[in-house]
Amino acid sequence: MDGYNFAYLDEQTKRMIRRALLKGVAIPGYQVPFGGREMPMPYGWGTGGVQLTASILGAYDILKVIDQGADDTTNAVSIRHFFQRVAGVETTTATTAADVIQTRHRIPETPLRSGQILVFQVPIPEPLRFIEPSEQETRLMHALEEYGVMHVKLYEDIARYGHIATTYAYPVKVDGRYVMDPSPIPKFDNPKLDGNPALMLFGAGREKRLYAIPPYTRVESLDFEDHPFEVQSWEHTCALCGSDHSYLDEVITDDKGGRMFVCSDTDYCQTRRGEVA
Amino acid sequence: MDKAMTVKTETTRDLVWPGLADPAHDSQRLFRQILGALSEPGTLTTLALPAPPQVAPSDALGAALWGVVLTLCDLETRVWIAADLDSPALREALTFHTGARITDDPASADFALLTHESFDPQTPFAVGSDTYPDRGTTLLVAVERLENDSNGADDADHGWRLSGPGIAESRVLDIGDGAGCRALMTRLAGNRASFPQGLDAIFGCGAQLAAIPRSTRIASVEARADSQETN
Repeated sequence: MDGYNFAYLDEQTKRMIRRALLKGVAIPGYQVPFGGREMPMPYGWGTGGVQLTASILGAYDILKVIDQGADDTTNAVSIRHFFQRVAGVETTTATTAADVIQTRHRIPETPLRSGQILVFQVPIPEPLRFIEPSEQETRLMHALEEYGVMHVKLYEDIARYGHIATTYAYPVKVDGRYVMDPSPIPKFDNPKLDGNPALMLFGAGREKRLYAIPPYTRVESLDFEDHPFEVQSWEHTCALCGSDHSYLDEVITDDKGGRMFVCSDTDYCQTRRGEVA
Repeated sequence: MDKAMTVKTETTRDLVWPGLADPAHDSQRLFRQILGALSEPGTLTTLALPAPPQVAPSDALGAALWGVVLTLCDLETRVWIAADLDSPALREALTFHTGARITDDPASADFALLTHESFDPQTPFAVGSDTYPDRGTTLLVAVERLENDSNGADDADHGWRLSGPGIAESRVLDIGDGAGCRALMTRLAGNRASFPQGLDAIFGCGAQLAAIPRSTRIASVEARADSQETN
């Protein structure tokens, strides 16, 4: 595209983000401040993820973009078109064919492989923010590894509901040190963070923070001995592919209470249906 | 007259510090290799770019570390250069190609260029603070050799055994036998005690590159072999 640098961002901005990314990888789970730029889309639409993707993407990379697991929803389609226009890269919906996957709020069901990079869009990177509004205080809490308050929050869930009621953006501890917000992925996806062979990068555009989980890194979901971490399960199976072990979306089909459950990961569901057919 | 000018051009061309032919795409390609090296500590990668001129003392830098400089440095970064690498030609090339500021104060450096021979554990590089651990110096070190054993074979008899983030089990990396190499790895092994403060290191040997970030646990293979013998 004429008039723009490859992948939209100018080279100096990319270098600044690249240097921050290397520090993020070196200190897994630590939120590195970076000079976030205004992107041609509003905050909340993945400007953090887009800036990271723009900084790592090459002309020969194959890009996949998903929004809540789906390749065909608004956010995914618009970001995919953005990079087709400003970088001219090849895109795909197949998880296995992609080199870089930008994601909003899901980790693909298909296991990732070494060499792939997963870029998460993060709205609020600070896991302690709803407990402690001051950035200065939360930064100090991370420095002192003062995370007791997070366990108190989970305990309050147990006291009130009898179980840990947090179902998404479930806090994790990375490599035994930093407590990290895995972005609003369902806690169903948390086990996929642990020891994943792919590199995982997280970008928050409005908050101007990025962080990373290198491949094969220990990632534990916070829990208690007598209330161990558990993922969601359903009585239903996917109405389209019959999967009984994927994350399901509930879809309302009419105004008479009709509903169906389908895989949130469209590529996974379509691949399964193709194999069955 | 013409002949004299041609001769002069010929000689200076050998002394030219090369830039990136295609800055946007070359730096992206090199960055992904550097990112891969830091994400999976101890793995080797070869950077494809023209080597800097083979003139002492700065020839020790090698193509890989020069590629890192061209990819990551710009007018927002400060670079510290060890005395045994320093030359007016390197300073001029660094300033010309990147616009980076050269500093004499290691504590203010974003990047430090050094060799294993000149590594001094007492040099006060920035290690960041507990609240901002990212504000530390990244060491770019020219080392004797780079050999690794991705299988993390138990029979490795030299080098350093790495584990931690980016490494499935363990991986053995050998950067050389010199006293400087040993001092450097001992210093990097000390990162764990001060984590999240610490030094991140990128090693270069010719066009080959490897990295050890501060998150990596480092143990000497020899020390382990010794302790097994005594057992």
